[in-house]
Amino acid sequence: MIEFTNVSKTYPGGVKAIDDISLSIGHGEFVVLLGPSGCGKTTLLRMVNQLEELTEGEIAVEGSSIHDLNKIDMRRNIGYVIQSNGLFPNMTIEDNVMVVPAMLGWSKEKKKERFEYLMNLIGMPPETYRKNFPHELSGGQQQRIGVARALAADPPVMLMDEPFGALDPIIRARIQEEFLDIQRTLKKTILFVSHDIDEAIKLADRIVLLKDGKLQQFDRPEELLNRPANEFVSEFVGEDSVLKSLSLYQVQDMKAKLTLPEASDGLDGTVFKHGDSLRYVLSHLLHPTPKPVYFERQEGGLAGPISVAHIEAFVREMTA
Amino acid sequence: MGDFLSYLGRNYADIFSYTIEHIQLLGVSLTLAILIGVPLGIYLTTNEQLAATVLQAASIILTIPSIALFGVMIPILSLVGQGIGFLPAVIALILYSQLPIIRNTYTAINNVDPNIRDAANGLGMTTMQRLLKVEIPNGMPLIMAGIRTATVLSIGIGAIAAFIGSGGLGVLIDMGISRGNQNMIIAGALAISILAIAADFGLKKIQMKFSPKEIQ
Amino acid sequence: MNSKAVIAWIVKIAFWVVIIAFFWWTISNNMYAQILENPEQFAGLLGRHLQIVLISSSLALLTAVPAGILLTRPKFKKYEWIFVNTANLGQTIPSIAILALAMGFLGIGIQAAILALYVYSLLPILQNTIAGLKSVDPAAKDAAAGMGMTPTQILFKIELPMAASSMIAGIRTAIVLNIGTTALAYLIGGGGLGVWIFTGIQLFDNTYLISGAVPVTILAITVDQLFRVMQLFLVPKGIRKAQKAAAAT
Repeated sequence: MIEFTNVSKTYPGGVKAIDDISLSIGHGEFVVLLGPSGCGKTTLLRMVNQLEELTEGEIAVEGSSIHDLNKIDMRRNIGYVIQSNGLFPNMTIEDNVMVVPAMLGWSKEKKKERFEYLMNLIGMPPETYRKNFPHELSGGQQQRIGVARALAADPPVMLMDEPFGALDPIIRARIQEEFLDIQRTLKKTILFVSHDIDEAIKLADRIVLLKDGKLQQFDRPEELLNRPANEFVSEFVGEDSVLKSLSLYQVQDMKAKLTLPEASDGLDGTVFKHGDSLRYVLSHLLHPTPKPVYFERQEGGLAGPISVAHIEAFVREMTA
Repeated sequence: MGDFLSYLGRNYADIFSYTIEHIQLLGVSLTLAILIGVPLGIYLTTNEQLAATVLQAASIILTIPSIALFGVMIPILSLVGQGIGFLPAVIALILYSQLPIIRNTYTAINNVDPNIRDAANGLGMTTMQRLLKVEIPNGMPLIMAGIRTATVLSIGIGAIAAFIGSGGLGVLIDMGISRGNQNMIIAGALAISILAIAADFGLKKIQMKFSPKEIQ
Repeated sequence: MNSKAVIAWIVKIAFWVVIIAFFWWTISNNMYAQILENPEQFAGLLGRHLQIVLISSSLALLTAVPAGILLTRPKFKKYEWIFVNTANLGQTIPSIAILALAMGFLGIGIQAAILALYVYSLLPILQNTIAGLKSVDPAAKDAAAGMGMTPTQILFKIELPMAASSMIAGIRTAIVLNIGTTALAYLIGGGGLGVWIFTGIQLFDNTYLISGAVPVTILAITVDQLFRVMQLFLVPKGIRKAQKAAAAT
C-alpha cells in the first residue's frame, strides 16, 4: 500500500534528516511514526504527499511511485490532518469539510449527503454545525472536523501529523477512542505521527520508532515493549514497559500461553472475561485487600484463582 | 547638484532657523497634546461608553484633510483675531495628535495583563498606586509608540501649516513654489523628511528603553 | 442610568452641538456663497479633485496589491525586506515634500500631482498587503497544500480572504490620505478643491475657505465611512466573527 524504499533526505549543508529508510505498510494498517522531536517523523510523513522532497530512494503509494503521480491529484486522494487543525477561518464548517469534494467537482446532492454522513460519523449533528465557523467550536470539535475533512473524499490513505497533540489529556483520550472506532469500520491505511509512546501503543497496529532520521525498530507495539531492538528503544519505551505491554494483552492471551488451575464453582471473587486487559487483572491482584481473581472459560466454568505469579510467568513467556 | 549645494552653502543659516521654528511648533503642540491625551486615555479606561464616543470622534478628526482643517479654523479663529499664525497650527496639531495618543494610552492600560493587575490588587495597592506603579510602566512602550506616531504625523502637517503663517520648514516649500525656486523646494522637502525620519528613529530608541528587557 | 453613562451621553451631544453650531454659523453667514454662486466652477474643481484621486489611487492599487502578492511568494521573498523598509521609511516623508519633489520631475500640472499621489498611496497599500498575507496562519496554508490545492487556489481561496481585512484597511488609509493630499495639488498646479482653500487663505476670504474646505472634509469622511461598510461585505464572515470574538477576550 505504502512502500518506502531506501528513502533519504539530505538538507543542503549535509544534514541528514532521513537516513536510508525502508518500510512496507499494508492495506488498512494503522502505523504510528514515533520518536523524539527532530527525529524526522514529520518529514517522513510529509514526503508521502510530496510536501517535502526526498533526495534519494523511492516512495510508492498503491503500487505507483509518487514521482509518476501528479502532485495535486495525489494529494486530493490522500487525507491530511495536522496538529493545529488548519481549518480555514473564512469558510463554514460545511465548506471546510467539503473542500476536496468541491475541488473534485462533486454534485451538490452528493456533497450534502457525504457531509451528513461524516458529521454523524464523528458524532456532531450536521444541522447544528453546518453554518458555524471554526472559531465557534471547541478545540476537540475543531480536531474532529479536521478528521472529517481528511475523510471527505474517502481517500484510501490518511496522513496524520500529531492530530490530537494540542488537546488536553481527557479530550485526547476520548477522541483517540472515537477515532479507533471509526478506523475499525473504515479500514484506512494510516500513517500517524506521534511523540507519545502511550498514544502509539493505544492506536498502532505497528510502530516505526525513529531517531536522528534512522529507523530503530518497526514492529507491533507489544514486540517494541517486550523485545526492544536496542538501547535507545528500551530507553524510549520507558522503565514501565512491562506494565504498558500488559495493557496490550488480554485474558485470552494468558489462557493460551499458560495452563491455569481449574476452579470449583461458586467461589466468592472477581471474574474476568476473555477480552479484559491483563493490566486490570494485575491492578486487582495488587489491591491491598484483594479478592480472589478468576478467568471465565470458553467451555464453561472458571479458571483460577489467579495470582501475581501467573502474571510473572506470562511476562517471562512473552519476553523470552 | 552643485547648484543645490551652493544654495545650501548660502542659505544654511536660514534653513537652520526654519528647522528651529519647526521644532518649536512641534514642542509646544506635542507637549500640550500629551498633557491632554494621556490623562484622557487613562480616564477612558474607566468609562467604556465615553471611550467609544471619544475614539470615534478622534478618528473622524484624523480623516479631516489638514489643509481643510486649517481652512475651517481660519474663519472661526478670526473671531478672536487669531485666524492665521502660530495658534491655529498648534490647535490643529493637538487635534491630529489626539487619536494616536489617546488610542494607544487607552489600549496600553486596558491591555495590562489581568494577572498583574490582580496581583497588584492582592498586594493592597490603591487604584492610584496601581496606575502609577503597575499599569503606566507596563503600558509605556505602547504609549510611547502613540507619541511617536503623533510626532511623525505632526512634522508633516506642520509643514503644511506654513501656508497659514505658522513658520517652520514649510516656508521653504511655500516660497520655493511661488518663486519657482527648485533648490528651495528640495531643501525644504529634504529637511522635513530628515527631521521626520530622525524623530521616528530617536523616539523608537526611547520607546525601546521603556520596554522591559524581557519584552524586547 | 449611572453617572458614567450620563457623562458619555453629554459628551456625545456636545460633539453634535459643535457640528450643528458650525454648520448653522457658516450657513447663516453665507459662507457657502462660492458653491451657490458658481456651481459650474465647483463641479469642475470637484471633478478634477476626484479625477486625481481616482487615477492615482487606482494605479497605486493595481501596482501595490500584485506587488505585495509577488513579494510574499517563495521566489521573491528575499526581496521583501527591501520593499517593507522602503515603505516604512517612505511613510515618514511628509506629503507636501513628495508633491514638491514630483514637481521637480514633471514640472507644474496634473501629471506631477498624480505621480506624487500615486507614490504616496502605494506605500500603505503595499505595506498592508504584505502584512496581511504574512499573517495568514501557516497551518491553514499547509493543510490546503496537503489537501491538493494548487498555489493559485491557495492564494484566492485561503490567503486573500484571510488577508482581506488588513488589505482593505491599507487601501482605506491610502485613499483617505489621498483625498486630503489632493487638496494640496493646487500648489503644484494640479487643481482640485484646494484651489478655493488656498485662494481663501491668500485673500482671507471665508466664503472661499469654507466652500473649499467643507466639501473636501465631507468627501474624506464619507469615503472613510464607505470603506468601513465595505469591509463588512468584503471580509469573509467567519474571519470577521473570529476577529470580533478575539477582540472581546
